[in-house]
Order: sequence, then structure tokens, then C-alpha cells
Amino acid sequence: MNLEDYRTVFATGSLVLMLIAAAPTLGLIMPFPSGGERFSELWVLGPNHIAKDYPFNVRVNESYNVFVGVGNHMGVPSYYLVYVKFRNQTQPLPNATSSEPSPLAPLYEFRAFVRDSGAWEARVTFSVSNVSLYGDSASVNRVIINDEAFTVDAFSKWDSEHNGFYYQLFFELWLYDQASRSFIFNNRFVSIWLNVTTS
Amino acid sequence: MSGLKLSLVLLMFLVLASQFFISETFAEASKDVAASALTDAEGVVASAYQAVLKAEEAGANISGLLVQLNEAGGFLARARMAYDFGDFEEATGLANLSRNSGIEVENAAVKLKDSAFFERVQRMWFMMIGSIVGAVLIFLGSFWVWRVFKRRYNRRVLMMKPEVSSNES
Repeated sequence: MNLEDYRTVFATGSLVLMLIAAAPTLGLIMPFPSGGERFSELWVLGPNHIAKDYPFNVRVNESYNVFVGVGNHMGVPSYYLVYVKFRNQTQPLPNATSSEPSPLAPLYEFRAFVRDSGAWEARVTFSVSNVSLYGDSASVNRVIINDEAFTVDAFSKWDSEHNGFYYQLFFELWLYDQASRSFIFNNRFVSIWLNVTTS
Repeated sequence: MSGLKLSLVLLMFLVLASQFFISETFAEASKDVAASALTDAEGVVASAYQAVLKAEEAGANISGLLVQLNEAGGFLARARMAYDFGDFEEATGLANLSRNSGIEVENAAVKLKDSAFFERVQRMWFMMIGSIVGAVLIFLGSFWVWRVFKRRYNRRVLMMKPEVSSNES
């Protein structure tokens, strides 16, 4: 190596060291882009806080527990609304293709502010009452969620394929949109099937 | 006599009817109050949330504010459900609790944002001065090291003994 080569090595090394020293200031001027997909999670867990042992055969006036949770990966703290809805097999679920929520009226609602990369969870205790069974039909007229009683009119026919009167308790996730200053359906919902029995 | 009886019956009817109308009017008024309280609380909580976002953007620790906001959100959700049940008094009370919590959060968020901004500016200056001084020191240091190196290199080259190599071609 001759002197010219040494000079090039020295100049390059010095420049690299100077850039390292100036990195904090450069970072202020040119913020590094935070990559990654932005999304929200919604889940429902069984009574033991795991994704199994969900209540299925539901007796009238007996209470059951599930846990509903939200995970925030939106890059900022987010404001969520979780609607709890109840339906029979014929009433509409949210439409994931067109991103439309179910037109059914919500029974219960949760509001949660979740930090970025954080999670929120709430216990949901529910029961059904005022159930009428006649022949191959059933009608649930009251759903109690976290000690609040809601009048519903959910009529169900006997499902001979799966042997039961089937209903669904489902949770919709809505996200507060700062631009429109309103909640927008986040196209996420989770549900549990319930076979309502009197015995 | 019969006229007096008729008047009495009419009077009683009017009193009863007026009570019905008064209670209807009160119910309507309390429904309006509850609806207004709910709208107000919704707006305050949303503003508080935006203030918290700004505080976070300024670099403040917003954990405590999120806990308070969740409380306000809980009151608001319960107020909304009470309203749907027709319990307007409860709805108004809960909406006001939510609103008050929201105002507290918003005020705290503004203060936190200001102090975080001040700290951030200080940190920024410290970082800028530190990195500029560091870069200049590295430049001067490198230059000095280069000069020392160059001097030694040249000395070594000068102290080399020339060797005569025979060219036997």
C-alpha cells in the first residue's frame, strides 16, 4: 500500500466515524420510517382464558363467562368500541367482503383506549332467560350481559343437522377515526355458537 | 247539584290528565337532557383522546392518561346503555362523570405535552451540540492521526536503504 491508499482508508474511516457521531442529529432531520403492517386484533377466549372450552350448550338462567380482547398494532394509541350482538341462524352477521357491520342493534358495548402494541381485555358474563320452546321452535326473549338485561326477539327453528336451537353471540370491533370524528367498523368480528337448552 | 258533580268530575279529570302530560313532558325533557349530555361527553372524550395522542407524539408517557381515558370510556358506554334502556337520569349522571373525566384527561394531556415538548427540545439541542462537537473532534483527531502517520511513513521511507538489483537480462 502506498501513501495514497492509506489516505483513502483514513478519509473513509473518518467519514464513517463522523456519520456515526452525527447520526442522532441526522435522525431528527430524517426520521426513519417505521415499517410493518398496521392492524387491530379482536379475540374471544373461553372461561379459562384459553381458546377452548367455550360455552356451547347454554341452559336457561345459567351464567357463562368468556373474555373478549383487543390488540392494537396501529402505531398509535387507539380508541376502540366493541359491540356485543346476539342473533339467530337467519339474522345477518357482519359482511366481511363489503366491510359492513351487522344491522342488528348492539346489546352491550365496551369502549377501550389501547396503547400501541398493547392489549385490552374484558370479561363477558352472559345468560339467556325468558326462553319459550314449542315443538321445533324456540324463542329467546332476554339476554343478560354483565348484569344488564336486554330484551331480544330471537326466534330459532330446530336444526336437525346439528340437533339444537342455535344462536350466536358475536362481537364487532369499531375503531375511532380522527378524520371523520366517528367510529368506523374495523371489519373484524368474533363469535361463539350457543345451543340453547332448557334442561 | 248535578252541575257541581260534573264540574268536580271534570276538575278531577283535568288534574289527572295534567299529571300525565306533566310526567310526559318531564320524561321528554330528561330524554333531551340525557341525549345532550351524551353528545357532550362523546365530544369531550374524543377531544381528550386527541390531546393524549398529541402528548404521546411530543414524547410524553401517557400510561396514566390511558387508564383515566378508559374510565371515561367505561362511564360513556354505561351511559349509552342506560339511555337505550330509557333510564335517562342514570344516563345523564354517567355521561357527566365521563365528561368530567375527559376534561381532566385533556387538561393533564396538554400539560404533559408542553413539558414533554420542552424536554424534547432540550434533548434535541443537547444531541445536536453533542453530535456536532463529536463530528468536529473526530475530524480534527483523524487529521492529527493522519499527519502523525504520514510523518512516520515518510521517515520510514527515507530511512530505507536503496538496494541495487542487478539486471541480468
